Amino acid sequence: MIRLSLAIAVLSTTLAAQQLSFVTCPVVRDTKTVPCWLAEYEGELYYLGMQEDIDAAWFPPQQSHEVLVEGTVQPGPRVCGGIPLSPLFTSVMPELTRSCNTVLPAKDEIPAPAATRPPVTHPMEEPSSPPYIARDFTVFFDFDNDQMPARSTSVIASVAAWAATVHATSLQITAARGAALLSDGRVLNESEVIATRRANKIARLLKGLGVPASSLSIRIEDTPAKPDGIHDPATRRVRIIVQP
Amino acid sequence: MNATPRRLALGVLTILITVVAAVSLLTAQDMAADYPIDWWAPSQGGTLPAVLHLDNPSGTLGILNTSGSLDTKGHPFFEPLGTNGRACVTCHQPAAAMSVSAAMVKERWRKTSGKDPLFAAIDGSNCPSLPQAKEASHSLLINRGLFRVGIHWPPPNAEFTLEAVRDPSTCNTDPVWGLKSKNPTVSVFRRPRITANLRYVTSGDAPFNSKTGELTDLDPDTGRHVAMNLMADARAATLQLQAIDAALTHLQAKAAPTAEQLRRILDFENKIYLAQSGDRIGGLFSAPNAPDGLGPAALEHGQPGLGDNLKLPVFGLFDVWKDLSKSPGLTDAQKEFRESVARGAEVFLLRPFWIRDTANLNDTGPGNPVKRTCTTCHNARFTGMDLAPGFIDLGTNNYPNWTEPGLYSESGSLPVFKVTCGKSAPPHPYLGRTIYTTDPGRALISGKCADVGSIVMPQFRGLAARAPYFANGSAQTLGDLVDYYDTRFDMKMTRPEKSDLINFLSAL
Repeated sequence: MIRLSLAIAVLSTTLAAQQLSFVTCPVVRDTKTVPCWLAEYEGELYYLGMQEDIDAAWFPPQQSHEVLVEGTVQPGPRVCGGIPLSPLFTSVMPELTRSCNTVLPAKDEIPAPAATRPPVTHPMEEPSSPPYIARDFTVFFDFDNDQMPARSTSVIASVAAWAATVHATSLQITAARGAALLSDGRVLNESEVIATRRANKIARLLKGLGVPASSLSIRIEDTPAKPDGIHDPATRRVRIIVQP
Repeated sequence: MNATPRRLALGVLTILITVVAAVSLLTAQDMAADYPIDWWAPSQGGTLPAVLHLDNPSGTLGILNTSGSLDTKGHPFFEPLGTNGRACVTCHQPAAAMSVSAAMVKERWRKTSGKDPLFAAIDGSNCPSLPQAKEASHSLLINRGLFRVGIHWPPPNAEFTLEAVRDPSTCNTDPVWGLKSKNPTVSVFRRPRITANLRYVTSGDAPFNSKTGELTDLDPDTGRHVAMNLMADARAATLQLQAIDAALTHLQAKAAPTAEQLRRILDFENKIYLAQSGDRIGGLFSAPNAPDGLGPAALEHGQPGLGDNLKLPVFGLFDVWKDLSKSPGLTDAQKEFRESVARGAEVFLLRPFWIRDTANLNDTGPGNPVKRTCTTCHNARFTGMDLAPGFIDLGTNNYPNWTEPGLYSESGSLPVFKVTCGKSAPPHPYLGRTIYTTDPGRALISGKCADVGSIVMPQFRGLAARAPYFANGSAQTLGDLVDYYDTRFDMKMTRPEKSDLINFLSAL
C-alpha cells in the first residue's frame, strides 16, 4: 500500500514528464541471462521491467493477453532497447489475445539490466497499546483482477492481526470499481462484478484468519471511478476500516 | 511373500556392463529387459525388512523403514479394511515404489485372470457397470495403471459447466455412475501416488497459497494450515483424511478405519523412505563417493525446503560424478553412466527454456513466458515437487497440449469433457472459457475455471520402479516423459541431453 501511494505521489509530481496509459501486446526480449519486458505504443518501445520471481515488487505481463500500461516516461538511456517508464503499473487484461506472442531474440548490444528492485518485505506490525483508534488498510488491485500476491495478502494478515489485537467491533470493507483513462482518450471501466468479487474474497480471507463473520460488513461502490489518467491505479482498491 | 530382499548381483552387473560398453548412448530405460515383478498380496503376512532392495527395470529400488522391520500380519496397511479384498498395499506395492506399475498390473491380470482384488469393479475397471470378466473393461488400469476416481459433481460454487463429449470409459455417461445419475459423479482416471517420503510431501504450513493468494486448507484436527500437496487434486488436507477417503472408496469399507488403525497406517507411512538405490549399469549408489542425494538413506535426515540450483540443489550435488576419468575401481560403463547422471542433473537444474501457458505457474507472478529451468516448478528438496501448493496445468490434460490423440480422434482412451466457464468468472488464463480436458483436476474441487487441468505434481523418487508417468499414465517410459516436455516447451534438447536427463531421473 505504501509503495503504491508513494508511486502515485511521485507520478503526480512528475506530470511534466509524459504520462502514458495504453493497452497493447507485451513483448518479451531474450537476453543472455534473464529476459526483459517491453511494450510498443505509437511506434515506440517502452521498457517495463525484467523477469524476476514471485517475491518481486513488479510482475511481468502475460503473453496471450494484452497489457494495460500506466506509467511516466523517464529521461535517460534506454533500457533493454526501450524507454523506461517509472512509476509504472501494468495489468494483465483478462480475456485471451492469442496474437500477443512476440519474443525478440537476444542481441549482443542489448544486455539485460541489472536487478535493481529490492525484494519486497512484509514487516509485521509493531505491537501497540490501548487506547486504540480506528485504523484504515488498503489493498490495491490490477485492472479487472482480484488476484492477491504476497504484497496484498500481507496486508490482509496485518488486518486480521490488528483486529485480534484491538478486539475489533467491526471491520468495514469498501470495494471500489476502478477505471482507466487511456492516452488516446478512451475510458476503460472495470467489470461490474469486480468490486463485489474483491470484497467477498477479502471477507473470506479474513474469516479464514479468524475474524468473526459477525464483525464484517461489505460496501460496494459499483459506479466506476472517474478516471484522470494519472491516479487511476489507486481507484482499483478495497479499503478496510477496523474499529476497536 | 514373493518379494525376496536382494542386492544387485555383481555377476549380473558384469554381464550388463559388458553389453553396455558397446552401446554408449543407450539409457538405462532402453536397457530394460525382463525383470521379476514381485507382488505383495493383502494378508499374506511376512516381515517388511527395515532395509529392502527390490529389482526394477533400471536397477534396484531401496526402501527404508526407520522404525525397523515390520511384522505385516494384522497391520492395517497390509490387511483388507473394506469389502473388496483390497488393502492399502494393493495399490501401494513396495516393488513399485509404493505405487503400482502398469507392467505389474498386466502381470497380475495374467496370473489371476482378473480375479485379484486389484481389479475391483469400483475403480479397477473403466466403469463398475461394464462386464468385469472382460480384460477390455479394465483397459485403463492394465495399459496405463489408472484407477477411476469418482468425484461428486458439481463442486460448491462451480464457475463452469461440464459435459462429457467423448467417453470411452462409458462411466461419465452411465445412468448409475455418470454425470446425470442420481448421484452425479465425474469419473477421471489417475495414477496412485507413492506412500513414502511423506515428511517432505506434507511439509509446509503457510496460511496463504503464494500462487493464488487464497488461504491454504486446514488440518481439521490441529487447525494448522497444510501444504496442499497430497493427492492429484489436493482434496485431502491430511494423510489421515486421505487414508479415510481411500478406505471408503478404493477399499469399499463400510466405515472409516478406527482411530487405532489410522494411527498405525500413518505411523507406517511416515516412517517409509524410498529412492532408487542402484543401477544395472551404474552400480550401487551407496558406494563411496556417491552423490549425497541418492538412495533412501539420503531422505531419512534431510530437511524439507526450497532447493537452490547452485548451493543446495533439489536432489543434492552430483559433482563427485562429473569427472570419473581418474577414478579407480570403476568400469568404463559405470563411469559413463554416472557422468551421464551428473550431466542430467545439470540439465535439470541449469538448462533454461521458455515455460509458457502453464496455468498456476506463469500467471502467478513470473510472467508468461518465463525463461527458467525444470526446478522452477520442481523446486522442493528431495522430492522435486513444488513447495507452493503444487497444482499446475502443465498441459497434459487440456487440449491442445494434452497427451491424448486429436480432439476428434476416436482412438483416445480417456474421457473428454467440455468445460464452459461462466461469463463473469475469471477464465482459464491460457485456454479461455471453453476448454476440452481429459481431467479437470483441481477445478473439480475448487470449482474455479482457472484451475481446469491443474494437477498436483507427484514426487520424483523411485521413478524407475513405477512406469507409466504423469497423473494420466500417458508416458510409458521416462523417454516419453522427457519427449513430452521437449515438445511442449520447444526445448530443442539434443539426444545426449535427453539421455542424460533420463538417466538422472532413473537414478532418483
